[in-house]
Amino acid sequence: MTPPEETGGRLSEKRFRAVGWLMQRITGLGLVLFLGLHFWLQHMPNGFLATAEEYNLMLQQREMLTQGGQNPTGAWTAKEALPGEHVITYSKVVERLRSPLWKVIDISLLLLALSHGMQGLSRVLGDIIIRARLRRTFVGLGWAVAALLAWQGIRVIMIAGMNTG
Amino acid sequence: MLHKRERPGAPSFRTFLSTVFSYRKKAGMAAWMLHRLTGLALVLYLVMHIIGLRSLTDPVLFEAYVSTFRSPLFKIAEVLLLGSIAYHAFNGLRIAIQDAFYRSENQRRLFYGVLAFTAAVVIAGGLVLLYPYFIMPLLP
Repeated sequence: MTPPEETGGRLSEKRFRAVGWLMQRITGLGLVLFLGLHFWLQHMPNGFLATAEEYNLMLQQREMLTQGGQNPTGAWTAKEALPGEHVITYSKVVERLRSPLWKVIDISLLLLALSHGMQGLSRVLGDIIIRARLRRTFVGLGWAVAALLAWQGIRVIMIAGMNTG
Repeated sequence: MLHKRERPGAPSFRTFLSTVFSYRKKAGMAAWMLHRLTGLALVLYLVMHIIGLRSLTDPVLFEAYVSTFRSPLFKIAEVLLLGSIAYHAFNGLRIAIQDAFYRSENQRRLFYGVLAFTAAVVIAGGLVLLYPYFIMPLLP
């Protein structure tokens, strides 16, 4: 008789699932704090976003730059802010990310989200894909994509605030 | 190698679907389904979010990137995103609490608590997010 899926598989796979179960709780609790903070900072009106007045003033200044021929791309597709709208801008994000503490917080959030998401996805794949080898291939592929995204994200967070004054 | 035909009732997409449609509608099943759906949606969003944020290396690209999401339709999507995060977070906390204390007789009440907290976050956050696009234009 073959054992049911949840308890089956190699010993290493079982151990991996047990560690995954615990990690999912730890990263989940971390995300409640970090993602809550992240959504509050970047989506709710506060000092980490530009007000409509600040944003429209910035657009005016940028348009002057474009007319002066100093904007190399020339493709400016930003929209004017509505009254009461708060907009996330390059300078606000870079200003925040100049502090090493914010870099650490954002990289932690990135890694927590990727590991929690990938762990959850491999649980779902484990329920859908019955063939052990195929499942391992897909889960491995998922972790490879997650590693690639982690590298991309860390690179962007580290570069922010470094190259421009 | 294990094969589907040798193991009837083994987890597969087909058994998943037949389970979903054979199940009596209960709070626990709804909680599990919603947790999976919001989880998968958030993974998809996370991937797009990280790829999109590569524009943070260039000011012009970044303002253009942000502006594409500043429309009435995307503001509604942002509220849905907030709802997915809130539900997944509160339900995840409920699962962690149940795993730790295993008070199974309280699980339905806890689930209704999850729905109430999610609704509160969506209403409070949604009003703030939708204000400049949907509420401000209506004001005299």
